[in-house]
Amino acid sequence: MAAGSAMLQSRLKRLVGVVSAAAVVITGAVACGSGGDNSSSSSSGGTVTLEFAQWWGAELPSGSLDKIMSDFSAQNPNIKVKLLSAPYASTKQQLVSGAASRTLPDVVGLDGAWVSDFAKQGAITDLSALMSDAKYDPSQLASQVQVKGKTYMIPVVNFIYPLFVNKDLLSKAGVKAVPSTRTQFLDAAKKISASGGNVKGWALPLDTAVPNGIQNDVMSWLWASGGTMLTQDGKPNLTSAPVKSAVDYVKSLNDAGVIAPGALTMKEQDKVEKFTTGQVGMVIDSLAHITLIKKNNPKLNFTVAAIPAEDSYTGPRGLPYASWGIGIAESTKHKAEAWKLVQYLMSQQVNSQMSTLANGFPGTKGAQPDFSKSDPLFKTAFDIYSKGKVANEFTGLPKSEDLMRSFDEQLQLVLTGKQSVDDALNKGQQAWSSVL
Amino acid sequence: MEPAQLDPTTAPDAVTLAEDTHPAVRGGARPRAVRGLVPYGYLSPTMVLIFVLMIIPIVMVISYSFRDNVIVQQNSVFAGFANYTKVLTDPDFLVALKNTFIFITVSMIAHLVLGLAFAMLLNTPLLSGVTKAIFRIVYILPWLFTIAVIAVIWRLLLDPSGVVNYVLTAVGVLQHGVNWLADPGWALWTLTFINIWSGYPFFMISLLAGLQGISSDLYEAAAVDGANAYRQFLHVTIPQLRPVLISMAVLDLIWTSQQFALIWLTTGGGPLHVTEMLSTYTYKQAFSEYEFSTASASAVIVLLLTMILAVFYVRQQRER
Amino acid sequence: MQTRKRRRLGVKVGVIAGLCAGAAFAGLPVIWMLSTSFKNNGEVFQVPPRLVTKNFSFGAYLKILTDETQLRFFLNSYIVALSVTALTLLVAIMAGYGFSRYNFPLKKSINGIIISVQAVPPITLVIPYFGLVVALGLYNTYPGLILTHMVFTLPYAIIMTTAYFNTLPRELDESVKVDGASGWTALWRILVPISIPGLVAVGVYTFMISWNEYLFALTLTRTDNMRTVPIGIQLLMGQHSYEWNQMMAMSILGSIPVLVLFLLFQRRFIGGLTSGAVKA
Repeated sequence: MAAGSAMLQSRLKRLVGVVSAAAVVITGAVACGSGGDNSSSSSSGGTVTLEFAQWWGAELPSGSLDKIMSDFSAQNPNIKVKLLSAPYASTKQQLVSGAASRTLPDVVGLDGAWVSDFAKQGAITDLSALMSDAKYDPSQLASQVQVKGKTYMIPVVNFIYPLFVNKDLLSKAGVKAVPSTRTQFLDAAKKISASGGNVKGWALPLDTAVPNGIQNDVMSWLWASGGTMLTQDGKPNLTSAPVKSAVDYVKSLNDAGVIAPGALTMKEQDKVEKFTTGQVGMVIDSLAHITLIKKNNPKLNFTVAAIPAEDSYTGPRGLPYASWGIGIAESTKHKAEAWKLVQYLMSQQVNSQMSTLANGFPGTKGAQPDFSKSDPLFKTAFDIYSKGKVANEFTGLPKSEDLMRSFDEQLQLVLTGKQSVDDALNKGQQAWSSVL
Repeated sequence: MEPAQLDPTTAPDAVTLAEDTHPAVRGGARPRAVRGLVPYGYLSPTMVLIFVLMIIPIVMVISYSFRDNVIVQQNSVFAGFANYTKVLTDPDFLVALKNTFIFITVSMIAHLVLGLAFAMLLNTPLLSGVTKAIFRIVYILPWLFTIAVIAVIWRLLLDPSGVVNYVLTAVGVLQHGVNWLADPGWALWTLTFINIWSGYPFFMISLLAGLQGISSDLYEAAAVDGANAYRQFLHVTIPQLRPVLISMAVLDLIWTSQQFALIWLTTGGGPLHVTEMLSTYTYKQAFSEYEFSTASASAVIVLLLTMILAVFYVRQQRER
Repeated sequence: MQTRKRRRLGVKVGVIAGLCAGAAFAGLPVIWMLSTSFKNNGEVFQVPPRLVTKNFSFGAYLKILTDETQLRFFLNSYIVALSVTALTLLVAIMAGYGFSRYNFPLKKSINGIIISVQAVPPITLVIPYFGLVVALGLYNTYPGLILTHMVFTLPYAIIMTTAYFNTLPRELDESVKVDGASGWTALWRILVPISIPGLVAVGVYTFMISWNEYLFALTLTRTDNMRTVPIGIQLLMGQHSYEWNQMMAMSILGSIPVLVLFLLFQRRFIGGLTSGAVKA
């Protein structure tokens, strides 16, 4: 029988022991090893380190982006660039989070579809102001993505989306020439689908998670025939005749059974795979895939062409495009240095080099990609690009992914027979009007 | 885990501190205040961690749900219940609610049934330890992989021209390939199937541990009373496992309702919203429509619904 | 006698058949993952699909194992997952003991809070959480990730430790306290050793959850030297195409430590827990 006070002491000791164990656990965890610095950029002794977050490194030949950055540092000895990689699928969400907590890297890779919303959030800075500060002449740029007259993103490399055609499947189906009008396309697709072996004429990726299919594979028909989905003052114009004709056309392709199965949840990557393995005869796809396709299936005999237009249309054909865009964070402490990096990437020589490496077209006017070492198809594509015009009305629109998605949902109802095209367009118009 | 006694431990509530039941042993009084602090001491690291890293952000989310223009703009405005009204009257939300309910219920039942079945198979006395060990390894395989990879590999397998269709048509079970993930009629069930596949090992292991803990004396006693294997299962196994089963069930419902990556990477909530879940709905509100206010409202609604489950769980603990 | 033997054989065959069917169910996608990791990217979508292709090669594995960045991802995953497991077990054992052995005001509320905390969709939590972590100075650090993962693993761990401790009768505690020891001693000397199978299960789960966690690992890290394996895998999912063979190879490589862990500890699952400590 221990005395009361001794028992009390031992209990107290135990309590203290418990609490201090807890404290040790937590402080120990906090104190032990910190892995990296958590400032968005640092300057020490005059050297500024910029952080550049992008997904491009993975799509360029290994080490090439690093080399471009070190060349930049060689020319600008007091600026170092730290490349931060980010998985493409999570980039937008990470940027939004980073912007909210003001921890964005100094320079960020952007997609044109995000610009309006990020600008509104105050995440990215006004580049027009930086350009005038640095006395940079913006007319050298092939395009700029602007919101309310101010530039927020500059496309560094552009990837157009021409029509890819599997020549073997085409000839096997008895089609002599690459289709150039909508009627020819429908005909060719039908013949390819009928040639047996589960092969289909066309693939339409309508995944709603990333609804780029609406931009690349649906609206492209509209733009190829010179149509627009917006009015002059940027309001939705979905009930207009050109849009109706494009959607009717897609519906007709579906009714003819030429679209590869699984369209409603097909992702862009699946579309490319199916074309590469010869399961689909024609797809609208990014130029950047030429190297990829050749690597994965060297025997594939294919070519690129302009997107077919309405039979009677003879004007310049619009080509959808996506870009690697670049922007500067509003919260960075090194705006001037960040602009120097952007300027470097947009200089004629570097831009040509990057475009060649990425298999895209330069964002700088007058810069020519070097075709000598690349695939002849690039020259073909460049000709198409020069003869036509790039058209992507979604760039710079607010909530563009949401717009694409609501249109996608209506289109899916049409393709599954649950809704008429007119109803779909009306509902789409309503949905868009609440945003635009 | 159960000892040989048939009488399980009394409910926690009935237990008071040891000192009270054996005052003679302890001898002498102790200040109640200090005694009362002891359990808090044991809970202190948990409480600190959860308070700082969870409660604070949750409170922030709740506060976002009552404001407008949160995050995407600098000045947010108090909005009362407007966001909640918007969410609760959104047909997409209601569809997501329905789908989530189906998804979590079916997944949970299948997880438990499959988990129990496999656990019992793995617990059989009929096979050698080595055989069982090998099968155990095989059975936990689904659990070893990160959800993104599971989503991607199942998409590959279930592609209209993928392995599953190929084998099923070759064997003759199907006439032609099924659009497992793209067909509005199939997508939800396919998704549920994938979720069941990826989640059952967890239950299997817990139930296996539970099974191991059931004393063989109980089975012998039941056999002596004339019970066959089936009745032994009903009257010994299930009652002994009941606490574990209920815990698992509640947890599974909560966790499955949070499942996001699997759905996003396979169907994105489509086609035609048949696989739209509360998680994908919330994500789209937040990162596509940039409506963090409604996303937060949606999150709070999910929290409230889940709290019902949590309350049920805590109550159930008490009744033991 | 004869029928008994025959019936026993019948049951045995049934069990083996069941086990094999289950194994096929569990293993098919994993086999396909393996098969894909040995293919060229172009062969992944080949029709008809083949298990072993002409260009069978270990190239993907070599690429990952010789890449410094990828190896760093593995190291980081290890450090984080092991720390999370150790700390979660420590904290959960203490909390489970508190819930199991004591009665106190607020007990139900705290219990309820711990469980409900899992109910908030992580995606909405990301932004305020992120701000908090930055404010605490834990951004892009190991402790930041470790504490975050602990918050996710603790609710389940506590539920399980409480449940396991609840099945152990108080007489076990008493048998030690009679000799004048404290509750703390009772916990660590008696309860924990008996609960080892359950604790091992909790430990393995915690490790797995931490190892495979993606969203917060991505959000709370910035530089490659802090990132973990799931992020490494997602980095291989490019904008235009996936590096299928590397993705699968990395997944397989990533699953090995967990598998080893499981192999090491699975003996604990064998043999019941009927302890000799307290018998009727």
